[in-house]
Order: sequence, then C-alpha cells, then structure tokens
Amino acid sequence: MTIGMKRPTRARLADTAGRWGFLTPAFLILAAVLAYPILYTIEISFSEIDIATFMPGEFVGWDNYETVLTDERFWYALRVTLIYLVFALPLQLLLGFVIAWLVNAEWRGRGVVRALFIIPMVVAPVVAGGIWKMMLDPLWGLTTYLLGLVGLPALDWFGDPVLAMGAIVLIDTWRWTPFVVLIATAGLLSLPRDVFEAAEIDGANWWTTLWRITIPLLVPVIAATFVVRWLGAVKMFDIALAATAGGPGRATNVINLFIYQEAFRGMKFAESAAMCVVVLVITTLLTGLFLRGSRVLEARFQ
Amino acid sequence: MTGKHPNAIRLTRRAALGAAAAAVLAPRARAAGPEDGGGLGTAEKPISIRVMTNDAFSKIWQTTLVPEFNKKFPNIQVTVDGVAYSEQLTKSLLDLSGAKPVYDVVITDDPWTPQLAQTNALLDLKKDAAAWTDPGFDWADFNPAPLAASEWKGVQYGVPVRSNMLLMFYNRTHYRKAGLPEPTPKLTWAEFMAQAPKLVQDLKGEGKPNAWAIDTYFGRDQLTPTIWQAILNANGGKLLDANNKAAFNTKDGVATLQTFVDLLKYAPPGAKNHLFNDSLQSFRQGQVAAMFMWGSVYRGTAIDPATTTLKPDEVGAQVMPVGSALPGTHRGIWSGVVSRKSPTPRAAWAFLQWMSSKEGEAASSSLTGGFPARRSTLAGTPPAPWLAPVFATLQMAYDVAEKGQMWRPRLVKSDSVQQVLADEVARATSGEIDAAAALANAANRIDKLRL
Repeated sequence: MTIGMKRPTRARLADTAGRWGFLTPAFLILAAVLAYPILYTIEISFSEIDIATFMPGEFVGWDNYETVLTDERFWYALRVTLIYLVFALPLQLLLGFVIAWLVNAEWRGRGVVRALFIIPMVVAPVVAGGIWKMMLDPLWGLTTYLLGLVGLPALDWFGDPVLAMGAIVLIDTWRWTPFVVLIATAGLLSLPRDVFEAAEIDGANWWTTLWRITIPLLVPVIAATFVVRWLGAVKMFDIALAATAGGPGRATNVINLFIYQEAFRGMKFAESAAMCVVVLVITTLLTGLFLRGSRVLEARFQ
Repeated sequence: MTGKHPNAIRLTRRAALGAAAAAVLAPRARAAGPEDGGGLGTAEKPISIRVMTNDAFSKIWQTTLVPEFNKKFPNIQVTVDGVAYSEQLTKSLLDLSGAKPVYDVVITDDPWTPQLAQTNALLDLKKDAAAWTDPGFDWADFNPAPLAASEWKGVQYGVPVRSNMLLMFYNRTHYRKAGLPEPTPKLTWAEFMAQAPKLVQDLKGEGKPNAWAIDTYFGRDQLTPTIWQAILNANGGKLLDANNKAAFNTKDGVATLQTFVDLLKYAPPGAKNHLFNDSLQSFRQGQVAAMFMWGSVYRGTAIDPATTTLKPDEVGAQVMPVGSALPGTHRGIWSGVVSRKSPTPRAAWAFLQWMSSKEGEAASSSLTGGFPARRSTLAGTPPAPWLAPVFATLQMAYDVAEKGQMWRPRLVKSDSVQQVLADEVARATSGEIDAAAALANAANRIDKLRL
C-alpha cells in the first residue's frame, strides 16, 4: 500500500520536474528579454540618469512622474494617439472583415488577390511611411498627378494638421488591414457550415445570413482581432516618424514618437522612462478591459 | 668565500632574470602599450581601426577617402560605419562610456563635444596625443570657428574633418526670369522678402505657379531652428545669455521668427513638412529659386549630373542674407575625436590627422564635396575649378560665424535645448501658435532645463 502510494507521488514529481525543465529555458529567456528591460525602465524612472555612464544615479522618488504628469505635451501626445486609434482601428477592422468576406466568396483570381494582400504586411513600417510620403507629396507625388487627371487640386497632405493625421491613418490602414484580412479569413473558414446550410434551407437571404448568423458567430474573432490590433496600434511610431516626424507642429506626434524624441533627441531618459511606465500601465488597464469585454461578447454569442 | 650572503647571489639572479624578462618584454610593451599608442602597424601585422560617422557620408568615405589615406598609411585598415543622425549621439555616448568601446574614432556633430567630453572617454589631442602628432601638423592654420567646435573647457578633443556652414544657394535662371538681380553677399533680409513674391512664378507656361522663391528646413526637426537662429544672429540676437538663460524671447527675436515663418508664403506646396531631402530635391529639380542649406551639398547640387538637373553655371552660393548686424550663417562642423579606451589611439589619431591635413582636405573637397577648415586650403589653389567661388564663400561664412557666434548652444544639454526649439518652432511654422507664443514657450521650457 505504501509502495503503491509512493509510485504516483514519484511519477507526479517526475512529471512536474519534466514540465519545469521544459518551461525553465523559456522563463529565463523571457526574464532576460522582457522582465529585465521593464524592471530597468522602472528603476530609471525613479532615478536621475547619468548620461556619462548611462546608469541610474540618485533616487528621486516620484519626481520624474510628477514632471511627466504635469507636462501638457505628454497629455497632448496621448490625445493625438487617441485620435489616431479612434479612426485607424475601426477602419482597419471594418475593411479587414469586409475584404475577407469578399475574398472568401468563390470567384476567379481570388488566390492572386489574397497573395497581393500580403505585400503591405512585409513592407517595413519606416519604408511604408517613406514611400507614402513620396506618393502623397503635393509637388511630385503620384496622388497629385491622379487628382490632376480628374481636375482636382493637389492636397497638402503633410502641411495640414487634419490631412496629416488622415495620411497617417491611411498609411497605417494600408499596412495593417491585410493582417486583419488574414485573421478574418481564418475566422470565416472556421465557421460551421451546417448552420449556413440550415439557414439556406429556411430561406434566409444573404443579408439575414450575414446579420443574424455570420456576424454573431464572428464576434469572438472580431473581439480578439481588435485586442491584437489595439496592442499593435498603440505602439505605432515608425510610420509617423518616417512620414511626418510628428508634424505639422505636433499634429501627428503620437505618444511613442514623443517619448522617443524626448529620450533620444532631448536626452531626457529618466522622464522618458517614467512616460513609458505610465503608458504601460494605461495600456495594460485598457487591454484588461478589452479582454474582459471580449470574454463577455464570446459568452453572449457562443 | 667572498663574504657575501648566499641570498645576495639569489637576489642578483632574480634581478638578472627580471632584467632579462624586462628586456624581452619591453619592445612588445612599447609596441602595444599606451606610450606607443599601439603603433601604426606593419605589413606583416597591420592595425585595424573602426570609425563611427554619419550614414550620409560613411559610404563615400569608405570607398573614396580610406583608399587615399591608405596610400600614406598602408598598414592601417579603416572600417567606417554609418549611423543615422537621430541615433548618432546616443550611440556615440553608449560606445564611448562602455568598458570596451567598438570605435576608435567617433565623428561628432557641432554641438556634441561637451556631451561626449563629460564621459571622460576622449583623448586630449594636444596633450595625450602630442607625442604622436606629426611635426608638420599646423594647428594654427585652422580657422578658429571650425576648430572651436571640438574644443571644450580649454581642451581640444577633436579636429574638423567635414566642415559645413549654412549658405544661401540660388538658381540664376529663376532670378533672371523674374527680372531680379543676382543675389550678392550684401543682400538684406528686407530685400530678399521684397523679392520673394516675384520669385513665385510660372516658368513652364502652365498658367499657374510652378516655381517658388525658397525652400529649406521647415518641418519638425532639430535642424529647423538653425535657419531661424541664422536670422536671429544676423540681427544681433542670441539664443542664450551669459547665465545660459533664454535670451531670444524679445521683440526682435519674435520678429526674426516671424520672418522665418513668412518664408512659407513663398515656399512650394507641402513645404511645412520639408526637411533636408525635400528641400534639396525641390532645388535640384529647379522648382525653387533659393535654398538655405548646408554648403557641403554644393557638389551634388551644381556639379554632379547624377544627382542634379542643374548646370554648374546655374547655381550660386553665398552667405545668408544680411540682418541689422551681419550676414547670416550657421556652423555645422563634423569633428573627429579619439576614444581614450582605444587600443590603437596612435593609428586613430593618424587617420584624423590625415583627414584634417591639407592633403586630406583636398581629397575630401574634390572627391566627396566635404569642405576644408584650414585657411591655407581655402586660400590656395583649389583641387577643382568649381571649388574656387565655394572656398571664398566658405571663408566668409567662417569669419561671420566667428564674429556673430553663430552656432548651436555648446552645453552638456545642448540637444535638450535644440529639441525644445524644434518643438516650438515647428508649432509656429505649422500655424498652431504664433511666433510670440512659440518663443515664450521655448524660453520657459529652456529656463526649466537648468543649464
């Protein structure tokens, strides 16, 4: 009996040791590449940094956070980021799912279209920003030429604050919509066919099928895609850096570009670290909220 | 029996062994030790040095100037790495302050010497490297303005290797078609602003403007305020006072920023976002009559048909217009410094000596478009005929810069100051706030930096 009890215990221990054996390398790598930089950033955010050695110096408590939270420019950059997110995210989700739905239908050449959709995703964001900057240039850009063909004047895309934000949303949408299309296509393909066959037998038209069946079944996928895209979009800065450098004025100075400029141009590493921590906290809270929302939606529509 | 203690013999043997070991090791120690700076290499054992510089000219240095250097120093292998301007200061600081720096030579921009010097990782060239300095290396021959860029608190940390000054480039065809006289160094800001509307013209018969008066840095960038600073300095204004407090937030300061903002009325569409490349392209493609730009672009703008549509006789360059005090310009010197932790500082200094020598300056001017800093180079016969008027303009710009102290703040926090100015000047050029509000904000923020 005693022997019989020992065997399962040993087996359990061996099992646990085996699991930890596999997990440990991953934990160590994560600690090195993720936890250490985050902890170091937090340490810097409570210190004065010595630029001569790039090491945290004197502990200054909450001073850097106070500086950041009372800096109007920080809140302005957050506001600019919010504007960008409010326009870019819904647009990318809407376009992504609509395109996926269209591409999913049976028609000749859809394979080629699917392949073409991958191209923007493999273009580096800085390159995308640079190319679009050239294409939208009011002096020699392709869009100016095309507008001229239909008798429209050139638009000062990067000189006007509203158009500049529009351009950033446009470039980001061009780059990221294919990603949404990919996820949406996978979601559409995973939908149970029997439900659609039943709807067809019941005489449901395409609109009813879309509104009453497809979209409700896709809600968990839409919610998950939103969270994934949100996490990507909130850290966007390379497109803005390449296309507008945050201008005109500070119209497109999204928060990560602002932090980058304060750190690497203004050499304010400690304050920038504090900004990173504040943004991390805000992003974590909002992500938690969105994940909770997506679980609620999943429960309601599954 | 000699009466000597046996240990004495042992000590003598130890001493002899020590002396022998020292004799064997001494030449090696000299070859690799600090007193020799690692030597200059031999055919059997060449020395490698690594140079960090700006990516705008790293490639041409590697392919053009390094082979010229190797004609004189064949045993020093030089690798030139280019770094984007926006990351260059940070990378320089990180490398120099590291335990084992990768780079023996770091090429630094005009305002960075104080920041790099505070790492205590730079060689004092006149003291630490004096023994390795060629007797013919003439420090006094440098123009004071470019040499001062790499001096800090009385220590000479670097030498100018690619000198640059903000100049006014102009297209003679545009001025002729507008019926305006060609600009001269006596052109004032008032005259330029009066001429600007006439330089917005239809040169292609399209019935609408397709040529504009001016292009330069207008977008959000640390170099954009240098254009305004040139106007400010030309009118006798200063950025900071003796106590490093903002000195530009005055009626005259606001007027000079307004002049800069007003230039946009005569600039091409989209110019609010234009920086180095955009303004350079619009000038090189014949779309603007004038451009305020770094002089080193002259070769690619007027001479090299691969990079410009303009002909050499079409392009003129001179100092920027005259204000109430002086003509305008702005110093932008790239200087070379040697890492104190380099295992081969002598070879690194040999490279910089050659780069800043008359021979190196001649090669740099004719082959890469870089400008010299030596008086004798500028006064002598230029290595190419097109350089003659450029050298004359450059000498004038150095003199003006020296007189009007036309450079960015030389402080440990100079980049912080420049970033504040970049932010607020961009807000003024975009129309978000007016010139007075922009300068008030900038002054307030700079004074909070506790310089």
